[in-house]
Formats: sequence, C-alpha cells, structure tokens
Amino acid sequence: MSVARLQTPEPLRFDLDGGAVALLEPSHDVPLVSVVIALRCGSATDSPEKAGLARIAVRMLRRGCEGLVSEEIDFRIDTLGAEMAVDTSPSTVGIHAQVIARNVEPFIELLGRMLRAPTFPDHELERLKRESIAEIVEARDNDRVVAQKAMQRTLFEGHPYGRNAGGTTRTIEAITPADVLDFYRRYVVQANLIIGIAGDVTPDRAPLLARQLIAGLAAGTAAVDHVPEPNMRPGRRLLLVDKPERTQTQILLGTLGTSGHDADHVSLVVANAVFGGTFTSRLMKEIRSKRGWSYGASSRASVDRRRQAWTLWTFPAAQDAAPCLALAIELLDTWVRAGVRPAEVNLVKRYLVRSHAFDVDTATKRLHQALDLELLDLPRDYFSGWIEHVRAVTPASASAAVASRIRTDDLLAVVVATASQVLDPLRSAVPGLAEASVVPFQLE
Amino acid sequence: MEKRARQRDPAAGRRAWAAQVNLGTAEGARLSYEGAHAFGVEMIHRWRLGNGLTVLVLIDGVAPVVAYHTWFNVGSRHERPGKTGLAHLFEHLMFGETENLAAGIFDRKLEESGAESNAATWVDWTYYHELLPADRVRLAVTLEAERMHRLVLRDAQIASEKEVVANERRYRVEDDVEGLANELLYKTAFEAHPYRWPTIGWMADIEAFTPEDCVKFYRTYYAPSNATVVVVGQVRERDLLLAIRDAYGIIPTQTVPAEDILPEPQQTVERRLEIRKPTASEKLLVAFKGPAFGDVDHAAMTVLSEVLFGGRASRLYRSLVVERELATDLRGWVSTFRDPGLFECWATARSTHSALEILPVFEDAFARVRADVVADEELARAKSRLELGSLQQLETASGKAEQIGFFEIVLGDPAHAFRRVESYRRTTASDLRRVARRYLVDTARTVLRVVPDASAAPAQAAQ
Repeated sequence: MSVARLQTPEPLRFDLDGGAVALLEPSHDVPLVSVVIALRCGSATDSPEKAGLARIAVRMLRRGCEGLVSEEIDFRIDTLGAEMAVDTSPSTVGIHAQVIARNVEPFIELLGRMLRAPTFPDHELERLKRESIAEIVEARDNDRVVAQKAMQRTLFEGHPYGRNAGGTTRTIEAITPADVLDFYRRYVVQANLIIGIAGDVTPDRAPLLARQLIAGLAAGTAAVDHVPEPNMRPGRRLLLVDKPERTQTQILLGTLGTSGHDADHVSLVVANAVFGGTFTSRLMKEIRSKRGWSYGASSRASVDRRRQAWTLWTFPAAQDAAPCLALAIELLDTWVRAGVRPAEVNLVKRYLVRSHAFDVDTATKRLHQALDLELLDLPRDYFSGWIEHVRAVTPASASAAVASRIRTDDLLAVVVATASQVLDPLRSAVPGLAEASVVPFQLE
Repeated sequence: MEKRARQRDPAAGRRAWAAQVNLGTAEGARLSYEGAHAFGVEMIHRWRLGNGLTVLVLIDGVAPVVAYHTWFNVGSRHERPGKTGLAHLFEHLMFGETENLAAGIFDRKLEESGAESNAATWVDWTYYHELLPADRVRLAVTLEAERMHRLVLRDAQIASEKEVVANERRYRVEDDVEGLANELLYKTAFEAHPYRWPTIGWMADIEAFTPEDCVKFYRTYYAPSNATVVVVGQVRERDLLLAIRDAYGIIPTQTVPAEDILPEPQQTVERRLEIRKPTASEKLLVAFKGPAFGDVDHAAMTVLSEVLFGGRASRLYRSLVVERELATDLRGWVSTFRDPGLFECWATARSTHSALEILPVFEDAFARVRADVVADEELARAKSRLELGSLQQLETASGKAEQIGFFEIVLGDPAHAFRRVESYRRTTASDLRRVARRYLVDTARTVLRVVPDASAAPAQAAQ
C-alpha cells in the first residue's frame, strides 16, 4: 500500500482581522458547504456554579438577532436548506452548520448577523433554560448517558473536566442575562474565533465568506487556558447509580490516560486498540465472543489539552454484571502488568495505518482534523504525521505507555443498575475495593 | 473534411467485454451487462452473474476508498411466529467460522487491511458492509463470497451468539423506553402482517432457536439470486468483475421460495395502549397507517411529516416545544418499508406535563392539514430540509452504496435517491392535503402512552 496515496493536502489556513483564523477546505464532490464557528474556549471556562453557560450563551445566538426574532431565524435556516447545531467540549464551543451550496451566501450573511448583533431577549433565555433543564431530565432515560455523566463528574471531581457541558438543573437555573452578555463580550470576539469552511465553495471565495462572518465583531483577546492538569484520586472505587427495573447494567471503568502532547500518547492509542479498540480486541474476544455476556465491550483514550480519561465500557445483563466486572478488571490488570504482544501490535498498527484513509475521505472530516489541531492545541504533525507516528510504535513502547499511564490501583468503576439486585456481588467483584457508594439516577 | 468524433457506447463495450470473458466459463459464472442507471452526474452499471447474483458498480474517484455492500432480500418479514428474530440472529452468525476461515479470522483479515465492517437487519432486508482502502477490494470480494456459501454453524457459536443478541435486546428494548414503546406500537398497530413483530425478535424466540433453524434459514435465503452486491469507490471495474466472477461464480444457483405474507386488513377502530415504566417523563406515540415506500403518496407524506415535525420551525415544534412548552422532543417519520407501514408521531412530554395534554395539540394540527392547504413558504421550507438530508447521504462512498443498495432492494431502482428529491420538488400543497385526508384518519390510528412508574422509586443515596 502506498502511504503517499493516503496523504491529503491540509486545509488552507488564513489569518483574518483581529487575530481570527480561517481554515478552508474546498471540495466540489457534493453541493454542500460546511461551516464551523469555533471558540477557543469551552465548558472548562464555566464556573462550577454556572456550569452550562458556554453552551447556553452560544445557543442564545440563534434566539434573536438584529431584525430577526428566534422564529424567523429558525425558518430562514430551514428554507435555505441549512442546519446548525451547537457542540460543546471542555476546550471549545462552537456552531457547526451545513448548507446547500447554492444558498451559502445568504446563509453566511445570516450567521454573520447572529454573531455580530445578537439581541439576547430575556424571555428567550428563560425559555432556553427551561428547555435545557427538560433535556437534562429527559437524558435520565438513557442509561449509557447516565453512566457517562457519573463517570465524568466523579473521575474529574473538583476539576473543570468534571463539569458537564450541558450543566445541571441547579447551575442552569443560576445563569442570568448578565452572564450570557458577559460571555459574549469576552469570548465571541475575533481573536477568540476559528472559522472553518469546507465543501463546494471556490478557494478564492471561501476567505471572503470567512471575513464576512466575523466582520463587525470586537477584536478582543483570545481566551487564556487556565485549566490545571487533573489528578486521579487514589484507590479503587465503585459508584453504583441506582435505577429501578434494570435487566441490564452499564459498566464503565475509568482512570487517567494521556494528553495529545504526551510523548507516549500514540503508543497508548496503539496499546488501547489491542485491548479494546477493535472488533477482535481482547475485550471483545473475552466478553462478547467467548462468553456472550455483552453486545459490546470497548475502551478508548480520549484526547484534550490536558490528560483526559481512559475508559472501558460494557453492558452485560444484571445476572452477569459481577463476573463481567471482575473479568474486565482482570483483563485490565493483565494488560497493564504484561503489556501487549508483538503480533497484536503489528495487527492494530496495520489497522490504524490503513484505516486512516477513512479519517480524511471528505472535506468536512479534513476540516475537523484541522480544527482539532488548533482548538486542542495538538502538535502540528498530530494528524499529518499520524501514519509515521503509528508506525514508530513498538511493542515495548506500547507496553511501557500502558504501564506508566494506566493506574489500575487508582480506578473508578461506575455501574448503572438496580442496586438491590447487584450491589453486593459487585462489591465482591472489585479486588482491593477502597470505597463503594450508591447514588440515585436522578442526581444530575 | 471535418473529422467526426467517434462516439463510444459504454454499453456495447461492456457487452463485448462480457462476451469475451465468458468464453469457456461455467454457466453460473457468466457475466451479463444489464445496463446503466444515471446517479446524478455519475453512472451505476448493472451486471448479473449466471447464478443470479446482481452486481451494481459506481466508479467514484473522490477518495482512495471503496465501499462494498452485500444486500440480501431477507428480513424479519420472512419469519413466522415462534421464529421471530432469526434474520437478525443470522446476521450475527455471518461473522463466524467458514470452511476456509477459523472463528475470528474474518474480522481479523478485514482489520489487518484497515477495513471497517458491520451489518444491519430490518423488516425487508439484511445487508453487510465493508469500507476498505481502495487497493483492498479483492479481500471483501473473497470474504463475502466465502461466507455466502461456506459458513460453518456450530452449536457452541450459535449458543453464544444467542446470548449476545439477548443482551442486544436488553440494551435496545427492555431497558430502553423508546425501544420498548416502538416495539409495542407495531405489535398493536399490525394484526396480520409480519411488521407486527420486532426485527430483533421476541426474547422467548431468541432463546429457543436451534442450530437446525439456523441451517435451514441459511440454505433458504443466502443464495446469490437473493443478493445484490453494491460497489462504490476507486476501483477498476473490469478487475473487480473478474474477481467477483471467480469468487461467486462457483456458488450454485438456488431458488428462493415465494413470499407468503398476508396483507394487513384495513384498520377501522382506534387502538389505545398505556404502559408504566421507570422513566423521567411521559411519552406519546400516535401512528397512522401509512403508504408503502413505493407508493406515489409516500413523497407527499414525507413532506407533510416535515411540515409538522421537521426542525425547530415546524408547526408542532413551534406549538409544543416553544410556545406551550409541553414537550422536549418531537419526531415524525413515514416508514420506508416495502409494504404499507406507519406514519409515526412521537413526543416526549416535559416532566411536569402529561401526554394527554399533547394529544389534542397533535389532533388540532392533523385537523388543520386535512382542512387547509399549507402555505407556500412552509412547503418550501420542508422541501429544502429534505433536499439537504438527501445530499448529506451522498457525502461518502459508504453513504452512496447504502442509498444504492436500499433503493435497489426495496424499489428495484438503485438510482431512486435522485428521483426521490425530484418527487419532493414536485409535491404541491394540494398533495399534502390529499394525503392528510387519506392517511390521517382517526379510526386507523394507534395511540400509545408511556407513564412514569412512581412506585419504582430508586433507593436513597447511601454511602
């Protein structure tokens, strides 16, 4: 296989007024244009008392702008054949939009107006807060989401990464019009914006559209990242999120992984692929293929500006939860203690190198890689040198990354289940358990 | 003298090539060219092997990747009571051992090549898909041909996979309020047609399957004449076809039994159901009997659904989420099934409100579209959203292959995605009122309400 065939040109990068940056990836394969307006800060900038503010403030941009009320904005977006959503993570919040190419000009005009001249009506903020709280309540129906939220807030307790981007009912209620206006004035400024445009737009037109988007915004300054490195609380802990009538459990195991800057980051990614990153991984073989205990079993090493979580996920039936949890911990201990074998590493390296073609097969995907590079402050060659980085990983470096990064003594197990059915067996399933607690599923 | 450009006839060229490569070839391996279908500015070429296998090829040079899909004309509609979920279980078993590949090797070979693979089963079809680097397409050809006729079904593997499927059912249905409500909706709305049972099957049926059931199903439906291979990507068509001929041509022709499906009798009385579950808020499902996907009314019903439910500016979103604040989530969907299905209307009530408050708002909106024509700007809005959605399906090789395979297996027209958009464009406000009057009939609706079960309160927080 020729690697050269898989390498693609990186998106064009332009400096705009006031310190804003534009990333452009023209492609005429489909008559669609993707537009991303990303802020260089995200939910980690929220205060603990106002968690959810970044997301609320950016969602408020479509709730009224100069000459248009919320309903008119929504109607205009649809009529142009467009859609837009707000995406929030600890390090960035932004608008992700797509439009039929023939309507890109009026759509950019609309987005620019929403950015430049939002009206932030008080009644719309109150309505959005009620909507957001209703969404938080509704999310309690999804056991996987309940487990993920519990893992995030407990693993990163006291750290900005522990705040849910959507907030809690209490923190959403606390957000005021002044908070939204302050966020807008501080962060929706040219120096804090990265504009991404991909798709059916010509290379000479795209920079003009990007400039049009940010015209009239205050220059401002880029947000400063004060997020500290997270620390893992010592000991093995079990958190059971109690929900009635569960025939099945959601099990998450979590500890700290790496940041994108760590020298052993790619080694950990490769080792993780061996453990739980593919359909033939150790986890899938042992939990699904051999025992049929769960429809899925996987692990992942998340990436951000600071060390992020390494997590394992599986969802066995209630009667299999304890043996499944015990097996997962045993497999994890073996992975950390004995490392990975050369044959396993060679297989996943081939997988990661060859599947790279699917990470860059559309203009929108290439744009998102370029955006991640900027927003997560990743090394410049994180994506462009991905194939070489993966090829450079050895069985020894992969094993070393696991041994030094994954601390199985400091491990958090989160289980969503009916406590009366499984609590005692689960306690017994975790060797060296230091602490076990039960919380109701409506906690957040 | 003016030279006239020589016109190339792609069909003639392909037929001549097929005749050439068929010389001395066994009957089942003979390639026939059956014509081309315009797919936007591209062309899908239709081929058939002597054993009945249909092959649809779209050369797409956008990226050095290839999507390889195998669609089988078998889904849960082909099952019978007591054996529900067999098509889906079988989809799982197809990733197992074959005569030439030990258990686990199928997936490992794909992963070594960087491929992504998966499968899906629904009421009318089952399909298997791989996405590979373009230079690895032969691997997909070899593996898919192998499992089409050399699958090995062992008792232990069937037992293990039944456990996996039971767990999938717990995940998607038993512990998922939405999944459970949807299953009950179809069970209540249909009395005769196989759409009344879930594709994943009833738990008791999953647990009771025998190895003999699985072998019989495989021999009945996994035949080349019951399959369509769809290939989209950066491939050389002739090399691909020769590889397909060599790999699949040895599979014997097989006759698939004729469908034996009872049509659903007309519903003349409203059906109601209420269930209690440990959920945070009430849910409301209202379903009317809808048109088959191939029915001329389907496009108009889809546009009508978009007017009512599509996006924040839709009528019911404005009314229920924004203005009255009774609901958090709303969806409308016209089932895309071969036979007449449902027009499903879903609402999640806010925790302080009841589904019974939402139902009259639904009814009022349905009455309005039966009585009046929708405004031009509402129609334009709905059409634009549908056009956007259609284009988004075509962004990747996998997306194109899925569209081609789906429309081929359900409608027999692999390029129908583009005709579909044209149908939306032609739809008029009068069409919407006509289909509203035809399908939004109260006596032909099923209403399901999910109520939070207050008795199932969780334990208090405790250390």
